[in-house]
Amino acid sequence: MTQVPVLLDKNFGAGTTAADRAEADRRRDEWNAARTSEQSRSFWSATFRRFLSNRVGVVAAVIVLLLVLGAIFAPWITSADPLLGKPTERLQNLGASGHLLGTDEQGRDMLARVLYGGRLSLLAGFVPTLGAALIGTTIGVTAGILRGVVGTALMRTMDMLYAFPAILLAIAVGASLGPGLTNTIIAVTIVFIPPVARVAESATRRVVVQEFVEAARLSGAGRLRVARSQVLPNVLNDVIVYASSLVGVAMIIAASLSFLGLGSAPPAPEWGYMLNSLRGMVSVAPLVAIVPGFFIFLTSVAFNLASDALREAMDSRL
Amino acid sequence: MDDKGKELLELLGVSKTFHVRAGGRRARLSAVDAVSLSVRQGRTLGIVGESGCGKSTLARVIVGLHLTDDGEMIFDGKQVLTHRRRSTDEFKQMQMVFQDPSSALNPRATISESIGFPLQVQGASKAAIDERVATVMSDVGLPASYASRYPHQLSGGQRQRVNIARALALQPKLVVLDEAVSALDKSIQAQVLNLLTDLQEEYGLTYVFISHDLNVVRYISDDVAVMYLGQVVERGSAQELYDNPKHPYTQLLLSSVPTLDPTESTRDEPIDDSSTKDSEIPSPIDPPSGCRFRTRCPFAMDICAELAPAQIHLGEGRSVACHLYSESEVQAVPA
Repeated sequence: MTQVPVLLDKNFGAGTTAADRAEADRRRDEWNAARTSEQSRSFWSATFRRFLSNRVGVVAAVIVLLLVLGAIFAPWITSADPLLGKPTERLQNLGASGHLLGTDEQGRDMLARVLYGGRLSLLAGFVPTLGAALIGTTIGVTAGILRGVVGTALMRTMDMLYAFPAILLAIAVGASLGPGLTNTIIAVTIVFIPPVARVAESATRRVVVQEFVEAARLSGAGRLRVARSQVLPNVLNDVIVYASSLVGVAMIIAASLSFLGLGSAPPAPEWGYMLNSLRGMVSVAPLVAIVPGFFIFLTSVAFNLASDALREAMDSRL
Repeated sequence: MDDKGKELLELLGVSKTFHVRAGGRRARLSAVDAVSLSVRQGRTLGIVGESGCGKSTLARVIVGLHLTDDGEMIFDGKQVLTHRRRSTDEFKQMQMVFQDPSSALNPRATISESIGFPLQVQGASKAAIDERVATVMSDVGLPASYASRYPHQLSGGQRQRVNIARALALQPKLVVLDEAVSALDKSIQAQVLNLLTDLQEEYGLTYVFISHDLNVVRYISDDVAVMYLGQVVERGSAQELYDNPKHPYTQLLLSSVPTLDPTESTRDEPIDDSSTKDSEIPSPIDPPSGCRFRTRCPFAMDICAELAPAQIHLGEGRSVACHLYSESEVQAVPA
């Protein structure tokens, strides 16, 4: 038998005898204890720290947070009524007394309408994204694990829906369901399920061939257990990153549906509806007319930037 | 232990074919063809061969990750049904250590979660799991503080130790090591191999060690089987096989091992005459007729293309599948 050479390396000079190895382990433990920075760090706390180092992402996330808080605490921020207005005060400009963002064509305070409307629009942004993430992930992971006939059938159905342009599909579903916020949410959810399913399925296919999934099967775990404990946590990464970029899109689609009269019914202050109703007043009070559009734009951009930063933070070599 | 030396695992005529798409057509890939092996309790069987010879498929067949198309398996005196999914108890007896330390560990699970998962599946209590994880981590030489770390915080050698720990968590009798040290640096390989031999002694484990690295196999194995294109071409004790290889393929393999001793070098007189023979391994989708090695064999005869050679037993666990040898020859040659 050939002698195997022993090299001193980051294994602390561990040799070939048990005593040597115990000594090497003791040295390694000492070294680990001395390096306080190398503490055990969970995935989420490491991601959070990386996210914080991205200034653009942090600013975007703060803007999103302010918008959400503003929508939730609207009654405490302004005492004006978003639904009733004084026609004598219609179309006042920004900064008019008592009306920070002016008034709309019926004299309703714009700030109040934007804040209360934020509730509707943010709901229309978050709920479909969450719903599509849950349903789409289930479909995608199932298709990725089962493959064969079932997987193909699922994914080709998703492809059929995905082939429609998003806004057209949303209009079609929204028109057939009728007006109202709930129907808008359902329509947008349906529009988002296929792309999420595609992301989930491709991530599943990538994960499922890794050896740790085989190793999990070796313990006697059934397919469902393996899917839940090994595959899903690794797929969620990709899904979360993709879904977070959909929130802004959801809001825009909901606003478009409202704009076309398919969303929330008046006098609900949904931003898209407000954009439509102020459209004709652009020549009279241009700054007021673009307020709802500005907020749609701001929320969408902030969400996109925040989700980009999230993707970068989650992506660092794990 | 008077159990030592009795056969723990016996494979009889095990075959596995895959259905693949080759060049647009559907074809059958014969990955493992009528393999018969045995491993004695407490010993190490080394399996060597080139890439594509079916070693990894065989490893997965033994452990139950692939279902066989044909053949039988007897483990610890009981027959194991290999054409059906194994039971939880059967999985407990045989475990596997995988080749790539990185992809063999779930990046989203801590070390203790990875090691404890098999125990969780088998329904152990949390306290029992924690205790067993701590025991097995100290067995493989990992400090307890690593339990809450993630794989990306560990080095390659440490990750492979985690893989070994996970394989040992259920206290199996047989551990299949599929190229378990191939992805490690030479110095780390040495440590891990020594760890494996220590564990074998301490727990009376039986190993099936699969590798393409002949030096490593020689170091760790008691018995060796040589595979080519899904078939076992030669078997015997490690000492005998390396000192006196009988099958032309074994001779070819051993002559191509780089050696530090210049007097042993065969670089300037290669055995295979590459001008007339293929030097590439044929495809397992369409293997050569008769003896699968004949396209590269310097001693190929006419009969090699017509008839596949049977295993010829030369006594004491030694066998070779080659037309150069025959049963009658065995009697004539002194042991």
